Amino acid sequence: MFRFDPYSPAVDADPFPFYKTLRDEHPCFWSEEANMWVLSRYDDIVTALNDWETYSSAKGNLMDELPNRAGATLGTTDPPRHDRLRSLVQFAFTKKAVEGLVDPVRASANRALDAVKGERSFDFVADFSSKVTVDVLFGLFNLPRENEREVRDKAVLMVQSDPKTRQKGPEHIAAFQWMGDYARQMVELRKREPGDDLITALIQAEIDGEKLADREVQMTITTLIMAGIESLSGFLTMFALNLADHADARRRLASNPALIPDAIEESLRFNTSAQRFRRCLQKDTVVHGQTMREGDFVCLAYGAGNRDERQFRNPDVYDIDRKPKGHLGFGGGVHACLGTSFARLATRVAFEEFLKRVPEFARVQEHLPWMPSTTFRSPTRLDLAVA
Amino acid sequence: MAKVTFIEHGGAEQVVDIPEGWTVMQGAVRNGVEGIEAECGGSCACATCHCYVEEEFLDRLAPPSQTEEEMLDSTASERRPNSRLSCQIKVTSALDGLVVRLPEAQS
Repeated sequence: MFRFDPYSPAVDADPFPFYKTLRDEHPCFWSEEANMWVLSRYDDIVTALNDWETYSSAKGNLMDELPNRAGATLGTTDPPRHDRLRSLVQFAFTKKAVEGLVDPVRASANRALDAVKGERSFDFVADFSSKVTVDVLFGLFNLPRENEREVRDKAVLMVQSDPKTRQKGPEHIAAFQWMGDYARQMVELRKREPGDDLITALIQAEIDGEKLADREVQMTITTLIMAGIESLSGFLTMFALNLADHADARRRLASNPALIPDAIEESLRFNTSAQRFRRCLQKDTVVHGQTMREGDFVCLAYGAGNRDERQFRNPDVYDIDRKPKGHLGFGGGVHACLGTSFARLATRVAFEEFLKRVPEFARVQEHLPWMPSTTFRSPTRLDLAVA
Repeated sequence: MAKVTFIEHGGAEQVVDIPEGWTVMQGAVRNGVEGIEAECGGSCACATCHCYVEEEFLDRLAPPSQTEEEMLDSTASERRPNSRLSCQIKVTSALDGLVVRLPEAQS
C-alpha cells in the first residue's frame, strides 16, 4: 500500500517519485504519518491557495507548526487582518526597495569567495550561501553585527523536525524560542533607538488605529529572519546543486549572465527549498471524490505541483529555457512569498559573482546529507570541487 | 467557468476558460498568455500583471484595495482609468465574456 511520510529521510532525499504517485493515483491523499490530507496537482493547489476562506492559514502554515506562532505572523493570519499586516510590511520588499541591496550582496559574495580562493574544494553551504544570506539579512534589518553565526544556526534548526518521533524535538523548539528571544531584544533595541528600518516601522505601524501586539511584531520578525536566512540560503544551495548537476546550463550562464534570471525561475520550479505548506479546512470539502472534514489539515505540496505534467511539459527535465510562469516556487495567492524580489535579486547577484570566479565546479558527494524537515528541502552540506 | 479574452498589445487575441475562484492572472499564466508576467505570484506586490479592463465590465469588479491602488501607481506602462491588476480580479460567472487588454510592458 502506498504511503507518504513527509518525516521520512527518503522523502527528504527525493520526494519526486512519491509526488508522481500522489498526483497520478492519489490526488487527494490522507497521510497517516503527517495526520493530514495531501494535495499534489497544480490545479488543486492553485484552487486551494485562492480560497483562503476554506483553506485557512490561521492555525499555522508550517507542516509542523511552532508553539504560539499561529495567528501572529503574515503566513498564519487570514484576510482581512492579513492584508493590513502585509501592506505594512510590503513596502520594505518591493522591487524598488530591494534594489539598494545589489552592492551589498555583490560585496558579500566576493568576501565569501575571497575566503576560499585557492581551495580545490569547499562547502557551498558553510562557505557561501550561509555567509551571504546572513550578511545581507543583517544589513536589510539593520541588526547589530554580533551573534551572526548563532542566528544562522538557530534559523536552520528551528525549521527541522525529528524523523523518529514525527514532531519537533526539544532542540528545534529551543532554537525557535531562542530566535523569539532574539527578536524581542531587537524590538526592545529599536524601541529605544528607532531607525529607518523594518523593525522600527513594524513597531510604529497601526492597523485600524491600533498598534501591533508585541507578540505580532516579535513573531513576524522571527519569521522574516527564518525565511531570509534559512529559505534563501536553502534556495541558493539548490541552485548551486542544479548548476553542478547540469554542466551545460552552468556553462551557458557563466558565458552569458543575462540568462541567470531564467535559470532562477526554472530552479524555483524544479526543486525549490520550500516544498510543502499546510492549511486548515473551515468546512467539509470534496476533492477527487474524497470528503475532507472541517478542521482537517491539508498539505499543499508545491514541489509536486511544480512537477505536474498537466501544467509543465517534461516536468522532470531541468530546462533553463522553459520560463515557467505561474510556478509554485513562492507559493501563490494572498500568501505568496513576501520576499520574491529580494530572493530573486540576491540569487542573481550572488551567482553573477560566483560564476565569474568559479565557472567550473562539480559535486564531490554522491549522496547528500538532507535537512530533516517536513516543510523545506535542501542539503546541509554541499561540497564542490573547483577546477 | 468564465470565458476571458486577452488582447495583447500587438493585437493578438486569446480566449481562455477560467474556473470560478481563480484570478484572471492565474488563468492567464495557466494558459501561457504572454503579456502577463505576475512576478510576485498574486500577492499584489509587483504590478507586473497590469491590464486594461473593457469599460462595460469595470463596474462588475470590486473596487481596488488600497494596496492595489498603490501598486497601480508603479506600473511600467501608463496607468489609465480602467487599469487593474489581474491578480486582484477573481473570476465569477458575472465576468463571463470579460475582455482585458494588455499593456506594452509589464516591467
